[in-house]
Amino acid sequence: MPRHGEGHESAHDKLKRAQTLEEILETALGFEATARDFYAELAGRVSKPLRELVEELAEEEKEHYRLFSELKANPDIAGALKELVERPAEDHRFSDFIQKPDLGEAPDDQAILQYALAREDAAAKQYAALAQSTPEGPVRDLFTHLAKEELAHKAELEKRYYEIVHSGGV
Amino acid sequence: MSDIAPKYKGSMLRPLKALSFLFREPATLPMRPRPAAKVYRGFHLNDWEKCVGCATCQQICDNDAIRMVHIPALPSDPAKGIRPRRPAIDYGRCCWCALCVDICPTGSLSMSREYIHVSRDVDSYFILPDEEGMHGVRYPQGWAKDENADLLDLKRQEMPEEPPQERADNFSEICEGYDPQTAMLEASRCIQCGMCHDACPAHMHAPEYIRAIFEGDFEKSVAEIYRTNPFPQVCGRVCTHRCETACSIGKRGEPVAIRWLKRAAVDNVPQDRTIAIALKDKAKTKTGKRVAIAGAGPAGLTAAFDLAKLGHEVTVYEEKPRPGGMMRYGIPEYRLPYERIDADIAVIEAAGVKIRCNTKLGRDVTMAQLKGQADAVLLSTGLNKGRSTRIPGSDHPQVRAAVDLLARITLGEAFDIPASAVVIGGGNVAFDIARSLARLQRRAFGKVEVTVLALEERDKMLADEEEVIESAQEGVKLINGRGPKQVVIEGDALKGLETVKCLSIFDEQGRFHPRYDETDVMFHPAQMVIEAIGQMSDVSFLGEDLTEQLEWSRGRIRIDEAGRTSVPWLWAAGDLVKGPDVISAIATGHAAAASIHAALMGETEAREAK
Amino acid sequence: MTTPQVPDPATLAPSEEYDLYFGPNHPGIEGNYSVRVRLKGDVICQAVADGGYLHRGFEKIMEDRLWVQNIALVPRICVPDPVPMEESYARAVEMIGGLEVPLRAQWIRVLMLELSRICAHLFTFGGNAATIGLYTNMFWGVTMRDLFLDIFEEITGARIYHIYITPGGVRRDLPEGVLERIEALLVELEERMPQFEDLFFNNAVVIDRATGTGRMSAEEALAWGVTGPNLRATGVASDVRRDDPYLVYPQVDFDIVTETGGDALARMMVRKGEVVQAVKIVRQAIAALRKVGGPVRCELPNPLAWDLPAGDAYARTESSKGELGFYIVSNGGPRPYRVHVRGASSMHAVQVLEKLLVGSRIEDVAQIMFSLDACPPEVDR
Repeated sequence: MPRHGEGHESAHDKLKRAQTLEEILETALGFEATARDFYAELAGRVSKPLRELVEELAEEEKEHYRLFSELKANPDIAGALKELVERPAEDHRFSDFIQKPDLGEAPDDQAILQYALAREDAAAKQYAALAQSTPEGPVRDLFTHLAKEELAHKAELEKRYYEIVHSGGV
Repeated sequence: MSDIAPKYKGSMLRPLKALSFLFREPATLPMRPRPAAKVYRGFHLNDWEKCVGCATCQQICDNDAIRMVHIPALPSDPAKGIRPRRPAIDYGRCCWCALCVDICPTGSLSMSREYIHVSRDVDSYFILPDEEGMHGVRYPQGWAKDENADLLDLKRQEMPEEPPQERADNFSEICEGYDPQTAMLEASRCIQCGMCHDACPAHMHAPEYIRAIFEGDFEKSVAEIYRTNPFPQVCGRVCTHRCETACSIGKRGEPVAIRWLKRAAVDNVPQDRTIAIALKDKAKTKTGKRVAIAGAGPAGLTAAFDLAKLGHEVTVYEEKPRPGGMMRYGIPEYRLPYERIDADIAVIEAAGVKIRCNTKLGRDVTMAQLKGQADAVLLSTGLNKGRSTRIPGSDHPQVRAAVDLLARITLGEAFDIPASAVVIGGGNVAFDIARSLARLQRRAFGKVEVTVLALEERDKMLADEEEVIESAQEGVKLINGRGPKQVVIEGDALKGLETVKCLSIFDEQGRFHPRYDETDVMFHPAQMVIEAIGQMSDVSFLGEDLTEQLEWSRGRIRIDEAGRTSVPWLWAAGDLVKGPDVISAIATGHAAAASIHAALMGETEAREAK
Repeated sequence: MTTPQVPDPATLAPSEEYDLYFGPNHPGIEGNYSVRVRLKGDVICQAVADGGYLHRGFEKIMEDRLWVQNIALVPRICVPDPVPMEESYARAVEMIGGLEVPLRAQWIRVLMLELSRICAHLFTFGGNAATIGLYTNMFWGVTMRDLFLDIFEEITGARIYHIYITPGGVRRDLPEGVLERIEALLVELEERMPQFEDLFFNNAVVIDRATGTGRMSAEEALAWGVTGPNLRATGVASDVRRDDPYLVYPQVDFDIVTETGGDALARMMVRKGEVVQAVKIVRQAIAALRKVGGPVRCELPNPLAWDLPAGDAYARTESSKGELGFYIVSNGGPRPYRVHVRGASSMHAVQVLEKLLVGSRIEDVAQIMFSLDACPPEVDR
């Protein structure tokens, strides 16, 4: 079970139980907050060269939190969702072949990014699976939207991973 | 007139002959200008998209009629050899000989079939030709670039090479180099536009050293080279030649062989003369300042050379048994023989630089010790570790990093040569290890079984084209468009590598973001998997305190443009900050040395002023 | 050449002689030139040629230009007949540099030289006729020449300053169909020749005026350095194309036209004959160019990095005016060390003119100059 207590089963059940769009967003916000706090704590533990990277990851989770908060505060969430799910997300399937590492005492930049990628991938898959098993409607739209957001985030991290790992860091 | 001979007077009817002209078409020239011939040399046209502002037209013009005009809005790309200037022509001086058109390297200049301009305004005779024509009427093209009339030699002198069957099982140098005559012929192709100088990270004085070779003065060429580059033997063989990418002749033909010419210059001057030339500007007095440099690679040694010539006492610490860094331990001998590296380093040592090998920072000497015995410290330890894909199974002992294996081969350390191997990666390092391994396999087993697995398609590979071609001649297989999935292990033995198809590499913004099709899986049997995907640095020798003290950016030590870190006595250069390639290392080495010198002498001056 | 002094008339003794400044704006002068004549009545008793109006400093400028850059300068040395200039310069450089001109280029050069000869002579017919007062001939000559200039424009991109012949060959190959057009033009010229005959060469006025005018003997001509049609008009069958052949002239079949009169009429007749011969040569060149292919220029180094070996050479060409020679000295560098042009008219316009004018009448000055085809641009340079 991952460290931040966000067990796959319990999260899934939580989301399954949620009835309204606000409740779903509330739960999603909780996940983002946990991730943000995780990275913030990690930043204090890693050596200085890696601090900037981890702080950026924390920032990104904060930004996600902000986006989802805005969506939750929107009086017409369903209407807003209709537009957001128009364009389907593209999954490059890259991170399928990376194991989620155990971060241990002194992770390096590659390990941190692999971890982040695995997290985004898991989240995306989770929301996608939920979207599949939900009948058509605003709830399904919301899950699709959340999956898309995680996928987009994953894509950004993949690019960053490539820049750092595959080209000498230049 | 009465004595005119009758035969000239003719008959009385003679005047009637004039009647034959009555119905003849008169030869009248129309008032309107007649269309000019197809190769007419009329007013100039210039295709601004093709024009790169090289100013060769200005050079050939008989009458000084052409002046280059700087236009800030135009694209400027020194790496591609594009300048934001265009030729302006003074029609008071131009003689319409079209030599400018014939010599234009890009073929952007041509002449139209327009030939009339009448104006009392003298300034209107000074034009900036574009594709619209002098009066914007788009007359058809007249005299334009033609195979016969072209004044440039678009073909390069061939570099003689060892054929595959002779080189496939040994590490002797493949390229034989230009002899002096061939070098002079190749040097004569240069039109002295200077794009090479702009594109070079170290801004080498290439037009000057090429001109010296053309004049047959190889010593002068070496002098011009040493103004910016203390590694001519190395760069003359393995530089990434940004100069040739920017070369104007290369726009339509083969670029001037600027790299081979550098090699020809230094190959044809005896070593003792090279040392004398290189040390000509060495300071006569010592400054009393000491500099410690970590890492005897091109960056560290360039900085050492500059600082030693300025009179400082320089000591370089190198963890490996011999100096050279990636030049020696990363590049195989068939591309860069060790004795050539030694020759360049000998010149640097002749300047007074002390090199202590087998001395590892963090183990044999600490940063505190360096700081104690020097007034300035330069870190140029490079990217000495290989990255790993960390795919499942990649922690098996037979999964190796390319940079490690290449270093072992140079060190002469034996390792079990695998009968079959796959290399993950498509850059020069991947081919370096693949071709080195091929040679070792041929010696050990009599045959080659190495496969390079690159993400990129064949026409977009990151490695030099010559590497790809030559490796194929040596028996190395290449499979394009595949990414690593997992290492297959049975029990303790490594069986091979599974790959998936790579559908695309770059996203819409051009960022590196491969897309895979995980249903298309291939298995590549192998006894060893070698990863050549990228490199990283190990700066753990800095220690916790110094690491905290320094400022970092994107995982690297933060430096200013000259390489100075946030800690006042510490500089960084080489692959740690830029590149990775030799000429960038040299450029950063120069910058760091200049900054160190200014800092050290500034201190002295400040103290002396008190 | 001494500049004639202008004494104060009041100090002079009474005399029947007066000085007349003939030119440079005089329509009877071919090009910008002047002759100071001293007349007694209508007869000239002394003449001093006074040139220099067209001195542009070619020989010195060429020392400061690269070998290839100079091709743009040389055609301007003689305006009516620029091609021999280009040819002589190119050939001198080729001689020094050991360059071999491809066969096709040699035939093209012969074509250009002979077409240029025709143009120059057509120009001269007109000029010559004008000095006798027959202006119609001038328009005919210039018009016919204009059609030939169209051909030059088609081949080289320019009508007069072709800048086409370069050391090593020519700059471009012939365009499609130009050989047919030249053939058609030659036919037209041949149709015109009888008309020129009628109007000019068979004209009583012309015969009367030109006979005996400006007569020189063969000995005088040889002593004075006269070459070209002027020499051949005295009966000496001298022609550089036969005496010192160049290009593919040894393979070309043509006759050397001579007359014996040595006067203006003889010179005119020689030129008329040369046009006929030139047409014959052009026809042979066209036939050859239909068969001979290959490159039109040998390989040349980058013009910005071309050092010609040290040495010197004198290359001479039979231009419409005589022996046109280029003497070039190279000291192994990218530019000529010295270029000297032997303008064919150098002798004709200066010493020959001065000698022939003495004893002739004022109305014949222009005629004598034109009949000598003395071209000032190649005198002054």
